[in-house]
Amino acid sequence: MKPASDEKAALFVAPAVAVLGAVAVVPVLAAVWLSLHRSIVIFHEQRFIGLGNYRFLLEDARFWSALRTTAYFTAVAVSVELVLGLLVALLLVRGHGLLRAAVLIPWAVPTAVSARLWAWLFNADYGALHRLLPSVDWLGSPTAALHAAILVDVWKTTPFVALLLLAGLQSIPSEVLRAARVDGASPARAFFSITLPLLRPSILLALLFRSLDAFRVFDAIYVLTEGGPGNTTETLSIYAFKTLMRSGDFGYGSALAVATFLCVVAISLCFFRVLGRER
Amino acid sequence: MRAFAPAHAPPLAIATALVPLLVGLGCAACARTRPGLSEAGRVTVVLKHQPLWGDPAAFRALLDRFRRENPDVDLRAETLPNGSDVAREMFLTALEGGAQDFDVFAIDVIWTPEFARAGWLADLSKAFPPERLRRELLPGAAASVVLQGRTWAVPWYLDVGLLFYRTDLVPRAPRTYAELRAFAEEARRRDPSLAGFLWQGRQYEGLNCNVFEVIWGHGGALEQDGRITLDTKAAGAALDFLRGLLASGVSPRSVASAGEEESRRVFQEGRAVFLRNWPYVFALAQAEGSPVRGKVGVSPLPSESGEAGAGALGGWQLAVNAHAPPERIRAAERLVAFLTSHEAAVELALRYSRIPARRAVYDDPRVRTGAPFIASLLPAAMAARPRPVVPEYALATDAIQGELSAAVAGLRPPGEALLRAQRIIDRLESR
Repeated sequence: MKPASDEKAALFVAPAVAVLGAVAVVPVLAAVWLSLHRSIVIFHEQRFIGLGNYRFLLEDARFWSALRTTAYFTAVAVSVELVLGLLVALLLVRGHGLLRAAVLIPWAVPTAVSARLWAWLFNADYGALHRLLPSVDWLGSPTAALHAAILVDVWKTTPFVALLLLAGLQSIPSEVLRAARVDGASPARAFFSITLPLLRPSILLALLFRSLDAFRVFDAIYVLTEGGPGNTTETLSIYAFKTLMRSGDFGYGSALAVATFLCVVAISLCFFRVLGRER
Repeated sequence: MRAFAPAHAPPLAIATALVPLLVGLGCAACARTRPGLSEAGRVTVVLKHQPLWGDPAAFRALLDRFRRENPDVDLRAETLPNGSDVAREMFLTALEGGAQDFDVFAIDVIWTPEFARAGWLADLSKAFPPERLRRELLPGAAASVVLQGRTWAVPWYLDVGLLFYRTDLVPRAPRTYAELRAFAEEARRRDPSLAGFLWQGRQYEGLNCNVFEVIWGHGGALEQDGRITLDTKAAGAALDFLRGLLASGVSPRSVASAGEEESRRVFQEGRAVFLRNWPYVFALAQAEGSPVRGKVGVSPLPSESGEAGAGALGGWQLAVNAHAPPERIRAAERLVAFLTSHEAAVELALRYSRIPARRAVYDDPRVRTGAPFIASLLPAAMAARPRPVVPEYALATDAIQGELSAAVAGLRPPGEALLRAQRIIDRLESR
């Protein structure tokens, strides 16, 4: 290849690189820079304090509680979504196109709207779910509230997982399964020895998408409980948002945002490592 | 502005929006700056306010009257998002960026100290001297806008925590907490399906109002020498009382996740004896078709001692943008004077059931005959107390909500929750 075409290629790539840099890299660096300052809007304070915010973060009980809540939410919600999504996908392989579209409805409803809807279902005076299980205080009890939020997330995103896995299922060549049947393999054996291993890349992809999304969960919980009762449903995003926008503490709020960002990067790296090995 | 409406954006957008938002702050204002003088030397004044529920025609007519009386002012009114938190986020970013696209704006009563401290509010002491406000307004209303002897905003209309009760279920309004419990238990003995006392225990600003009222009712104070003090005996007693209500079943468990509307609906359906809420409940509960129509009584909140308890002071005030050029500030002051005048307050009381901040309005014959309920609120409005009038309150309120909610939900003993809240407040104040 001639060097001239290399230059041309660089020229063509430049706009994409510039846009990516402007909307992704620069803001992240700005947040990191801000997190090294004591910056409180109403006091017009903005001075460099190095790692002071991070030192406080390490001993901030509310941060650790938010991190625990977020990790628990992610682990439970994503596991349930994966199992349910796989079941739905297996049913849908034979399903009609219309059925597939219908399953997607929860995913298509804006989260704020569906969370409001669920808030009424959970309502301790009127809620249908409350009538069904009157002993559970869905949004008022510290232990139930987080699980209520997980339920909403599962309801909303299982269709998304199912769709991803459905695409994976459809890419499995049918002759492999037919050959297994000819060899006398039971359906269960065929599922565990053929379908599941071939579905692995799709499952990992679904896990990656969902873990990253679940870790940054904000809107569903914010609408349901605003982090209550007693901060038991407060995730990292909600804590960062409240610190930034309600308290106007931009320095510490940015430190929380950066901490969330680092967690998300760590999760991605783990997944990419596993995914990379697949290829 | 979409980025400021978190409830409507997907989580991905929120996470990515937060960061560029911060970067954008610096130049948000430059794009929005607009020249203050319109053609022919007329001054443009932009008013930003929350929607007044009801027929907008009456408010439009009020603004038109101002236009007729001030032909040199080109007045434009813009409405704010309804949610107070969303409106605050919008102001926080706009004012920090030095926005000049609004001159008069309505702010929630608890923002005044914070916004004044940040230098975003024009000093209105000349046009509205503190002494005059103290003379003409209700004490709580005047106290909430005067900081260090200067006026930073003018109360527009008020809100105050009240006790609603069922006249067919209890003999009279309870004066003490013991009476409240006894009346509720008595009514529940006759009909166990009734809820005794409903209030707002969800983790949000309304919870602070509810708890503060009970602290005041136990003889406590929230401020000492300009600092917020929560770790007090009265506050411990207040939280014990609220926990006791839940533990004994006088208040149903649903209270711990209820806001104003959830509790209002249950009361209006006739399923509760007592309700702590804001004045707006009265018109809805007495409306045609309401199951409790004609059976609703209103009184000041009870207290431990039996004196009329203080309700939390809420409501909106009009402030002037400090970033506006001088000639617009002068025109803006005229608008504030007009909208907070006796005549405007009468109009707002009659047309929109807004509680007046001016004492004399309660005695105005038009209000006494046209809105007797509002006229009857004078004792409660006189007793209303503002939440701590210090800049740190707006910073600390989020942490206070979390700890009070933890105590109400039974996660932590009240004493420990108060101690934790106090530690967070002290850290903020020591900055």
